[in-house]
Amino acid sequence: MTMTRSEVEDFLFREAELLDGWKTEEWAELYSEDALYEVTSPACEDPLGADARNTLFLVSDRIDRIRGRAKRLTKKTAHAEYPRSKTRHMVSNVRISAGDDGSTKARANFAVFRTKEDTSTVYMGEALFTLVETPEGVRIRHKRCVLDLNSLYNQGRLTIIL
Amino acid sequence: MALYDPIREELVKADLAQGSFRVHRDAYRSAEVFEREKEQIFSKCWLYLGHDTELKKKGDFHARRVGGRDLIFIRDKKGEVRAHYNSCTHRAAKVCRERTGNARNFTCPYHGWVFSSEGDLVSQNTQTGYAEGINADGHLDLRSVERLEEYRGFWFVNYNPNAINLYDYLDGARDQIDALCDQTEGQQIILSGEHTYSIRANYKLLCENSYDGYHLFPVHASYFDYLRDQMVGTPGEGLIDKTLQSYNTAGCARALGNGHAVLDSYVPTGRPIAQWLPSMGAGTRPEIEARYASLVRRLGEERAKYIAETQKNLVIFPNLVINDILSVTVRVIEPESENKIRVTAWAMGPDDESEELRALRLDNFVSFLGPAGFGSPDDIEMLEICQDAADHTPIEWSEISKGFGKVENPLYGAGMPDDEIQMQAYWTMWDRVMRGIDTLEKK
Repeated sequence: MTMTRSEVEDFLFREAELLDGWKTEEWAELYSEDALYEVTSPACEDPLGADARNTLFLVSDRIDRIRGRAKRLTKKTAHAEYPRSKTRHMVSNVRISAGDDGSTKARANFAVFRTKEDTSTVYMGEALFTLVETPEGVRIRHKRCVLDLNSLYNQGRLTIIL
Repeated sequence: MALYDPIREELVKADLAQGSFRVHRDAYRSAEVFEREKEQIFSKCWLYLGHDTELKKKGDFHARRVGGRDLIFIRDKKGEVRAHYNSCTHRAAKVCRERTGNARNFTCPYHGWVFSSEGDLVSQNTQTGYAEGINADGHLDLRSVERLEEYRGFWFVNYNPNAINLYDYLDGARDQIDALCDQTEGQQIILSGEHTYSIRANYKLLCENSYDGYHLFPVHASYFDYLRDQMVGTPGEGLIDKTLQSYNTAGCARALGNGHAVLDSYVPTGRPIAQWLPSMGAGTRPEIEARYASLVRRLGEERAKYIAETQKNLVIFPNLVINDILSVTVRVIEPESENKIRVTAWAMGPDDESEELRALRLDNFVSFLGPAGFGSPDDIEMLEICQDAADHTPIEWSEISKGFGKVENPLYGAGMPDDEIQMQAYWTMWDRVMRGIDTLEKK
């Protein structure tokens, strides 16, 4: 294992800070070239084992679309996030274990609060990370968010990054 | 809000000579109109329940709300598909509290009445107190929905026992379902997973949006920016703008009878069924070309080309959307009030496609569609600001005139992709059913 829990926590807090500051393109730089950012569908029967190649997810972005998502969110024409919502990412209960090839696996609970106009909603769940150390610094190779929801009935949509 | 009186007040005003087609905004914002829609539209039209392939094994079920009524969609233990009302005949409790599963019986949690998958009452959890033969006429069995019929695997219900049959109701929409099902020599199936979300808007706003060619450039500019970025340095570079330049002239919007309509258009997203683009990767090309060859062999060149290359946004009146675009989505819109809907959407694909093509299909889906895609959320934002503004301004009419006046009967009109003839067909049918001019009943 190459990272300590406090190093992982510092890294995840940094990711959360970038997202809450709407620095989405800086956020995308935290991801490796072979990265995958996923959010399983709340209806998914096996969210930990599911594969976006044969099951409908909410989000399944490789690096091109991670960057595309980050860039799109900076535009006024991303209507669903204009005017921008306010968000607050809470990250806790971080647990780490050794991954393959010197990577570090981490699991964290999250609650993301989003306020758009006068309506506030919360996205809560668990995120599973694979983190790798590169010459440029720590990068996310895989992030899978599993929501503790049965649908997006209360949230309506997922236009922010978790 | 104003009460809709079909005798003295019009909510849909069409003036052929003036080329004017207008819809009163009470049709979107009035609770009284919505109450009437529950009686007229949702109690008389065929409503989508689910797909045959969602019930793979005997006993598989899904609990669904359809037109405001809670149903159990189940394949019974003999293999027959059924739709029961999800309510105990004893004291009303829901007998099924899971969204999906497999069951031989349903046991009411309140007093323990047991119903078979066919709906028969098999136990009242006691031997005493009931007269012999109290259920001799079957009135204590789970209630079946009045009508349940399918067309090529798509199951619909109708709460009017005298309704015309589904086949006739679908009218020209059958040809569109055929074009979808005929994509494969195998079977179209609902893929694993679903998207369920809500929108604070009237259900008809989402119907209109689902086949609206006019909104494409203003609403989805950021999606086209993304596509352009993806194609920089690839053989597909420049294709986006070239194809989009001819968008307004290359396809058409067509009404299909009974309020159904389709938008046929050409957008360079690539289609996992038989339209290959460089962005889809060289590895998928042979399979896609083989699929195209199969279409030509089975259906002829012209039909093959239509099935493979045309993006088809279909709305089956009153609340089912089947978009066969960069991926296929089956989307049902369940109205909860005049300004709130629950949307459930599934991905569909052929059962005989390769893992690579399946992956591509689902990747296409989430790139644009669904509550986290790069397209649908921006549509949803538009619907919500339409609803909010309609609810809070005194303006009476919405203008849906584009392309109007070319045909006598809007139920079978045709126009350009960015016309509004598909919505004119929808609203013409809506008005006729609301007024009782079309009863949709057997003669």
